[in-house]
Order: sequence, then structure tokens, then C-alpha cells
Amino acid sequence: MGLEVIEVEYIVETKNLTKKFGKETAVEGLNMKIPRGEIYGFLGPNGAGKTTTIRMLLGLMKPTSGSVHVFGKDLKRDKLNILRKVGSLVENPSYYPHLTAYENLEAMRKIVGCEKARIHEVLEIVGLTHAAHKKVKGFSLGMRQRLGIAQALLNRPELLILDEPTNGLDPSGIIEVRNLIRSLPRQYGMTVLISSHLLSEIEQVATTVGIVSKGKLIYQDSIESLRRHSQHHIAFRVSHGERAWRSLMAAGIKTQFQGDLVTLSDQTDDATVATAVRALVQDQIAVYRVEEERRTLEEIFLQMTTKERAV
Amino acid sequence: MMGKLLRVELMKIRRKGFWFLTFLGPIGVVALQVVNYSVRWDYLRTLSDDHWLFYLENVSGFTPLALVLGIAILTSFMASIENETNAWKQLLALPVRKTSVYLAKFTVLSGLLFLASVLLCLATLVYGLTLDFGGGVPIIELLEYSFYPFFAALPILALQLWVAMVSENQGWPITVGVLNVILTYSAFSLPDWAFWKWPTLLNSWEEPMYSGLMGLGVGLVIYMVGMMDFVRRDVK
Repeated sequence: MGLEVIEVEYIVETKNLTKKFGKETAVEGLNMKIPRGEIYGFLGPNGAGKTTTIRMLLGLMKPTSGSVHVFGKDLKRDKLNILRKVGSLVENPSYYPHLTAYENLEAMRKIVGCEKARIHEVLEIVGLTHAAHKKVKGFSLGMRQRLGIAQALLNRPELLILDEPTNGLDPSGIIEVRNLIRSLPRQYGMTVLISSHLLSEIEQVATTVGIVSKGKLIYQDSIESLRRHSQHHIAFRVSHGERAWRSLMAAGIKTQFQGDLVTLSDQTDDATVATAVRALVQDQIAVYRVEEERRTLEEIFLQMTTKERAV
Repeated sequence: MMGKLLRVELMKIRRKGFWFLTFLGPIGVVALQVVNYSVRWDYLRTLSDDHWLFYLENVSGFTPLALVLGIAILTSFMASIENETNAWKQLLALPVRKTSVYLAKFTVLSGLLFLASVLLCLATLVYGLTLDFGGGVPIIELLEYSFYPFFAALPILALQLWVAMVSENQGWPITVGVLNVILTYSAFSLPDWAFWKWPTLLNSWEEPMYSGLMGLGVGLVIYMVGMMDFVRRDVK
């Protein structure tokens, strides 16, 4: 039986995945690689092609060109076998409002074929046990989202795909879901793909990050490397921009200036900032403001896309 | 897989009024004759010698319209189960074939319509027996008038299901449903090839069975085309 334990390096691997809607290209040449046991954060602004990509991973949409391999198998040929081991929550949760939470899960259970006790298990996991026999019609947005996550977990998937899973949840719900997602690879050996348009959301759970912009994957690496990109910088608003820049240069601190704004981006530790302020004061340059600026995801995108153009 | 999907579909039509409508249709059709015969039985008696056959013709005057109305309403209910919260993406991301999902929907709908035909047959028989027509019950004609319209209406069901399953805008199935009802209503002035005429069982050969057979054949063809189109499309 040695053949069956071939270790698959990537749980999800797409090659030049492309999707066009008429003339519009939604996803272009996407090469996504998700290693086993990772929590893959799929980041991008709204309309960047995240959901389209996820729909192609689930076989809901057919790629215009390129291929999708999940668990090392071609999605085109082995779709049903692959989907047996995948759980998903795409965009807004889908449910049958006239049925109860339990009945919704039961309808799904009949198809995926796990045992009935699993329904109570997933309801427990997402904290919906008390509402199991209420019609979903009366659920709040957060409860519906929890039900969506319960549905995704029902078949004990090896790959869990969650599209914006914290939508509509209150802060404590967000923390619960975050902790749940974090525990999945450890406890159940799951690989997780989680998409979001918020960097803050992704950076707290993901171990690997893929950033998509205008249909292209412009970045794919570990979360540590992304953190280096998203380093904050310190801005000084001063009386004389250029003089400040010179004086800091003399003090051995590299900055950029624009008008009366001098920005410090490479070293932003406390000691350097203190040195910089001292240098400015000594050179009799008035300091009006010292502000910390964390670069937003949009700015990182911008930087990354411009970099891409330069290459 | 079909067995599982059918059980799931039956579960999903709970509390949606499907069963109510399935009973309402045939009982409504016979109820119209209850009114008709209780008000003017003395007059109707003079119109024909074969009272049973005349009664069956009266009943079947309303069958096509009830059937086509039922198809429009049940089909749009059926598609709304998934369309309401766009549960297609949820359902079709499970290990199921799209062809099986389509077949399960069609099977449940035609099953309900067939059940309605059975009820029509029983209700027609029971009320007919209370009227004391004399002579034996024309069983063959009773079965023909009860079940041929079901087969003859299959093209309409297949067309309606196709439109409902692939339309993002639910205005389309409603439009098609209204057109189906209008065309069935004006069946008498339609040519033989128009399938809206078939549920009336009228054709130039004067053989009701032909209407049923054509319905079955053409219904299967439209079903296949609709299913292939559903499979080909990306999920909404």
C-alpha cells in the first residue's frame, strides 16, 4: 500500500488559472500554492477576483484556461472525490430559511453522509446549540454566519475554504471564530484557505499570505515576510522640510521629505526616533507633530503593483 | 446518490405549501363541477345521453389550466428554495453531480404533479358516483382524462424548470409561466404542433393518447436540453 501514502506537497495548486467574463478578465494567470497544514490568507480588495478564484477551486465555475489541483488531483477529473474532503463557506452564508438550523445541517448531512451526532458536534463548535431547533429565518447575521461555518465543518474536511468568515460577527464572535480557525490545523490536521479584504483580519490567523489585485496574484509568501512590508513609519511635520532632511542625514538617519513632511521608514525603533528629535531640536528646526503611520493594505498594494510594473 | 438527493429535496419542500397546492389543484377542478352539477343538473341532463362521458369532459375542461398553473407555481417555489439565499453555491460545492441535482428537482415536481393526477382521478370518480348517472363507470376514459394531461404537460414542465433553474432574474420564469397559462387558455385556436394544446387532449387525429405520447417525447427532449444548459453554466 506504499503508493497511497505519497505526501502531497501542496493541498491546493493552481497553474495559470484564468477566468474571463466576456471581455473582462476577472482572474489572470493565477498560480496559487497552499502547503499542507497552513492557514492561507487570501487578501485583496473587493472585486480583485478572490471569490471568483474560490468558486473555481470548488468547481462552481469553469476556468477559461489553466488548471486546479486539489490534494494533488485534477479538479476537472476528480471533482466529486475532491469535494468530499472540502468544506466551504462562499460569500454570504447560504441556508434554507424555512428550515431550522438542525434541519439545514440534516439536509446537508444526507448528502455528505456523516453520522447524525456530527450535527450536534458542529453546532456546539460554533455555539449554536441553543438555537438548533429554531428556523433560520429569525437568525441574526452573526448566527447565520456561524451556521455557515458549521455547514463548512460538517463533513470533517481536510481543506476548509472560508470566504470572509467574520462578516457580520460581533467582536467577541470574531475572536471566537479566529481562535477556532487557528486551532483547526493543529487539532484536525486541516488546511485552511481564508479570504478577506482586511489585512488586520488575515495577519492574526494566517501563516501564509497570497495577495490578489486586479485578478493577479501579486504576492505569495509567509506572513513574516509580509509583516516586513507592512512596517510602520514615523512622520515629522517640521518648519523646514529640506533642512530637517539634511540635519537627519548628518545624524546618520535616512529619511524622505516632501514639503514640510519628513518620513522615517527604515528604522522606526524608539532610539532612532529619539535621536532624530534631538537632532532636529539641536539644529533649531521646529517640530510640530511626530506621527506614527501604519501603512494600510491599500498602500502595500500600491507599492507592490508599482514595483511589479517597474520589473 | 439519487435516493439521497430526493430525500433532501423532499425535506426542503417542507412548510412551503407544496403539498397543499398539490391537493388544492385536483380538488379545485372537481369542486367546480360540484358547483356546476348542483346548480344545473336538470339542464345538463338534457345535453347528452352518456352522462358519465359528458361529466368527464366537463371536468377535463379545467384540468389543463389547473395543471399549467400548478406547474408555474410549483416550479417557481422549487427554484426559490435555492435562489432565496443563493444556496446553489452551497449545494453544488458538495459532492453531487449537477445532472443529479437537476433530475432530483424534476423528479419531485413531476412526482407531485402525478400525485395531483391520481387525486384528480379519485375525486372525479367519487363525485361522479354520487351523481347517480346510471350505467357503468367508463374506467378507460376516466384514466385517460386523468393521466394523459399529465404526460401532455411535460414539455411545459421541462421548459418552466429550465428557465427557473438558470435565470438569475426571477422575472423570466414568471413571464414564461404567464405565457404558458395564456397559451394553454387559448389552446383551441392553436395548431396541433403547439405543445400548449396537448394537455387539452384535442388533436386532429381525435386520439387523446397521441397528445400524451407527444408530451412524453418532447418533454424528455426539452428536459435534456435544459439539463445540459444547467450543467454548462457557472453557478450563480
